[in-house]
Amino acid sequence: MINDIRVGALIAYFSVKRGNKKTLMFIVFVLSLIFMNLVFLPSMIGGMTVLFTGMMQDYPYGDIVIEPSGDNTYINNADSVLQKVRAVEGVRAATKRLDAGASIEHKQKVVGATITGLLPTEEYDVSQYPYIISEGDFLGELSRDEIIIGAMIAGTGFGSEIYDNLGEVRPGSLVDVTYSNGVKRTYKVKGIMEGSFELVDLNALVNYKEIEDVYGLEESKATSVVVRVDKQGSEDQVKDKIREAGVNEQIFTWADKSETLIKQAMQSMGAIDTMSKFVSLIVGAALVLIIIYINVLNRKKEIGILKAVGITPRSIVLSYAFLSTFYVSLGIFAGLILYFSLMFYFQVNPVVFYETMEIRPQIDYMLLIESIVTMLTLSVIAGILPAWSVSKESILKAIWSR
Amino acid sequence: MILVKNLKRYYGTGETAVKALKGVSFEIKKGEFVAIMGASGSGKTTLLRILALLDDATEGEYTIRGLEVSSLPEAERSYYRLTQVGYVFQDYALINEMSAAENVYILSMMEGKSRKESYEIALEALDKVGLKEKHNRIPDELSGGEKQRVAIARAIAKKPDILFADEPCANLDTNNSKQVLDVFKELNEKYGQTIVMVTHELWHTEYVDRVITFEDGNLVSDEKKRNR
Repeated sequence: MINDIRVGALIAYFSVKRGNKKTLMFIVFVLSLIFMNLVFLPSMIGGMTVLFTGMMQDYPYGDIVIEPSGDNTYINNADSVLQKVRAVEGVRAATKRLDAGASIEHKQKVVGATITGLLPTEEYDVSQYPYIISEGDFLGELSRDEIIIGAMIAGTGFGSEIYDNLGEVRPGSLVDVTYSNGVKRTYKVKGIMEGSFELVDLNALVNYKEIEDVYGLEESKATSVVVRVDKQGSEDQVKDKIREAGVNEQIFTWADKSETLIKQAMQSMGAIDTMSKFVSLIVGAALVLIIIYINVLNRKKEIGILKAVGITPRSIVLSYAFLSTFYVSLGIFAGLILYFSLMFYFQVNPVVFYETMEIRPQIDYMLLIESIVTMLTLSVIAGILPAWSVSKESILKAIWSR
Repeated sequence: MILVKNLKRYYGTGETAVKALKGVSFEIKKGEFVAIMGASGSGKTTLLRILALLDDATEGEYTIRGLEVSSLPEAERSYYRLTQVGYVFQDYALINEMSAAENVYILSMMEGKSRKESYEIALEALDKVGLKEKHNRIPDELSGGEKQRVAIARAIAKKPDILFADEPCANLDTNNSKQVLDVFKELNEKYGQTIVMVTHELWHTEYVDRVITFEDGNLVSDEKKRNR
């Protein structure tokens, strides 16, 4: 067997050393594109996932979100929950929120929106809301009768043309808000928030106390408690610790929430991704097979000669496996250079989505390893199959029939 | 050394079968230089291919040094081709991507010898055919005669029991043919190499000890040219 390997490697080496370099370059170039095709789209989808999940974390759900258990509308005694949560090791910040459905009216234009009641000073540590005010100011601790309107419903942001909006609402404008319980309030617009994300820009914010007053809530009720952790990646452990601390409400990590909320979108993209990978693999496998098969056919006579002079069929088959692996390794290497160059380019020049959302493809090292292993496995199969088939032919047929 | 008894080779079956060899028998002694002659289609090349284990006989016995080789399994036939039998093809059959030395030494590598040892064996073989100085040339950089001498070096490097040559001068001019035949003669006379050569050139028989003639798949004459 050792002799078979030695001779197989030597035949492959001579073939590369004195083979046509232009053909080699072309094969490597095509293989590098196949490799790129395998890894690039998943990287883009990964970038989109990171962007969307990042938004989930920065706005509605934090790293961990606690919601009412069972059919309850509110978390009762949210302050007690907050106290327990803040005492848990690994929790950086937490706050409570109250969401309510409402319609907002301005100069006879009416839009429906979710209005979130929040504690403005606590939001600086929990979300990005305070940092995305494009006009005016964020709410203060004592803000009353004031509202922050999302840019899409204000009619000023990107996407306004798609959705119903209030028509150029500006800071200082007065809007009438009718809550789901029929209570009507007039608020002065304090600021416009623009997060380039529908869950943000189609909503509005008021002080937590406003919602409490409107719905007559007592004993610190909340529709959610939003938690941020010290260390990204520790969400599951912190979630368990919160549970152990005696919080009996429903507890979700951002990943749990992402799964349900953007699962569908990601599933669709995942399906595209899977199809793309499958097609790439089939095309890649076919191409490697064709390349090696043509190579083998062109060398059918040589294979016959090698057999005739006593080179074992195993050596011959191994030589093609080595040759094929060599082509594919070079293709992978070139593909990696191309891939990392593109990754670098897109980090500097991200793909702009929705005019303001910047998608930077994510490098998934596991995917790279998987793709490399897949390509190499394919190369061995693609090298062995045709060579094995020809090496099984009779010597005379291999030498004298084309 | 070689004993052939009632060897037959048919292509196809039934009425339409082509009978390339119709049952030939002969013996070749160690150290003989034998020419097999005959017109095209007489069965001489078919015989040589069977003797060199490149093809199978339909019927009959074929032994080399008492070993029945015609029924060996492929792995053993491959080993036999590698170690016991040398074959020189009409069209040289060199690997174009290997230099003269590489074409020769790859067989020693296959036998398990080191690369250095194999290279030395290759140079020795190339020296015997007068091509040591051109060991680094690839086939495209060699003349037809030189290519054939490399093919001979490849065949003799492993010091085979028998050297088979299938019309080795068919593609060569007279001068190159003489060079090749001189090499065969020297191998035969100096090293006692058994050689079986297919040819249709009458003047080639000046170099051999014995001429076996075929006609229409039958052995029609077996003539000694000189005694050894």
